[in-house]
Amino acid sequence: MILVKLTQNELYKIFSLVRSYIGIILFTGIVPLILWGYGMGTSHIEGQIESSVSDMFFIEGSPTNGFTAAYFIMNFFWIHIPFLLALVGGDIFAGEHANGTFRVYATRPISRVSIFTSKVLATMIYTFIFVFYFGLLTLGLGLIWHGGGDMLVFHNGVLILESSDALVRFFIAYFFSFMNMVLVSSIAIFFSTMVRNAVGPVIGTMALIIFILMVSSLPLEVFKGIQPYLFATYFSNWEQAFFDPIPWGDLFRGLGLVASNIVMFLGIALIIFRRKDILS
Amino acid sequence: MTETELTTPQSPSPITSDQVTPALACYGISKRFKTIQALDDVSISVPRGSIFGFLGPNGAGKSTLIRVVAGLIAADKGHFDILGNSSLKGHGVRKDMSALVDRADFYKNLSAYQNMKILGRITGHDSDEHINGLLDLLGLYERRKDKVKTFSQGMKQRLGLAQSLLPDPKLLVLDEPTTGLDPQGMHEIRDFILKIAAEQNVTIFLSSHLLHEVELICSDIALIFNGKLATQGSMQKIFREIDNVTIELEVEDSKTTLAFLEKTDLVTQITPLANAISIEIHYNKIPELIRLMSAAKINIFSVSQRNRLENYFLSLMEGR
Repeated sequence: MILVKLTQNELYKIFSLVRSYIGIILFTGIVPLILWGYGMGTSHIEGQIESSVSDMFFIEGSPTNGFTAAYFIMNFFWIHIPFLLALVGGDIFAGEHANGTFRVYATRPISRVSIFTSKVLATMIYTFIFVFYFGLLTLGLGLIWHGGGDMLVFHNGVLILESSDALVRFFIAYFFSFMNMVLVSSIAIFFSTMVRNAVGPVIGTMALIIFILMVSSLPLEVFKGIQPYLFATYFSNWEQAFFDPIPWGDLFRGLGLVASNIVMFLGIALIIFRRKDILS
Repeated sequence: MTETELTTPQSPSPITSDQVTPALACYGISKRFKTIQALDDVSISVPRGSIFGFLGPNGAGKSTLIRVVAGLIAADKGHFDILGNSSLKGHGVRKDMSALVDRADFYKNLSAYQNMKILGRITGHDSDEHINGLLDLLGLYERRKDKVKTFSQGMKQRLGLAQSLLPDPKLLVLDEPTTGLDPQGMHEIRDFILKIAAEQNVTIFLSSHLLHEVELICSDIALIFNGKLATQGSMQKIFREIDNVTIELEVEDSKTTLAFLEKTDLVTQITPLANAISIEIHYNKIPELIRLMSAAKINIFSVSQRNRLENYFLSLMEGR
């Protein structure tokens, strides 16, 4: 019960901050813009696709429909969303230290573990809302704007997914993307427990993600051995949800590594937070 | 809690264990920050119902002990009890305690009411009636919907006090509650502390380096220097330990009084002032002097002891 109240408090605090809406406002503005631009620039692509594959397949609806648009936007944005999530996750502990409000909050008869858990839960709920809104906006608006139909995926040739199958694939893709973003938020929380200002954790989170992304994508033999163990290697694993057949083994192996990283970062963050002297 | 009845030969009425258990008892608390020993084996006992002044110069360890009790930092050694509940049993020790540590800080983008609500929700003391009642008590009801960032320092400090009263505490810990306030703000907070101690039967543990403030409101004190406890006890007991004190006499006829004082051997030093006479005298001899002056038909308008606590504090410091 206390955890519910504490999580309520944390959500209240998160949604009272302007920074929590930056990403939502940004996407509300930019996704329709991309969908409009996508509609304007795809008429010749559509013609080319139709002329090249219509001899072999019957494609229901436009090949550049809402599904393809959502797929295109997902590719474009999964590198930007971590920054927007780090703005909130990075502030969750450090912001309270900077404001001095921890001094007030932590004197109440509640354990540090409860405070920590409520903050983590609230951050993850925010992460879910963010990803859900992003999905709803890209897929929902994409389908309304550009209509539904079969989805064309270019992987080892051309894969045509029926619209009902495409929708399921999107849910799978969003789930794995959400888990990746939970890891991003966990890293931001980890940095947030270490410092007393909210800027450091945002920079720290992005620096770590960029560094790991670079190492995980370098085509050098020396890094090949460690790449399977780097979380950023799996940041684009959502794409596999559109493969045929879906490589579940690879997807869950990636998920396992992401989950173990989440546990590791949150575990260290909890140890730091429990031992931390609140002096500010 | 089971109330064990204790009886003493001197006391015909039974004393309950609740009355004899201190509001706060610290046992051998030590804390070290890298090279600085902030607290060194500090043990204090705060009687229930008292306004307890915890004194010491800046950096003496006052705030460190308060932060240990408030759960903000962990002690390296020792433990404490709050109203009979031991800190060894975890965070539940603070269920009847509330603390305002250092200056009051808030979620500045939220209103006074919202800030109260957030803290009240934790302990289930978040009803509108309770929150508005406390805001009214502290004179903030009219501003309850205003964002805290628009508040003056004095208003923030009052809001901090309102927040600290949310869980209806039996022990209220205040760390330098008048710091940064103007004289009017200091006066308001002092009055408020006296009011809640009297009306709500709250024990108050107050740290301060403002000796005059402590002298005005505290019934008991403890002094700390360099992380070590120097002394503790009731204000009366401590004042009785003071040998020579400086008092100011406001009399009708200064000339006659000066002549009288020069003849008596009770006074060690006499300094005529513009509207009074300052004398140095042994604390225990003050009643005798007043009796003799009355017998000599000297009309006394006032006898005031100046900076008694300050003198004591300085004498202790000099001895170190």
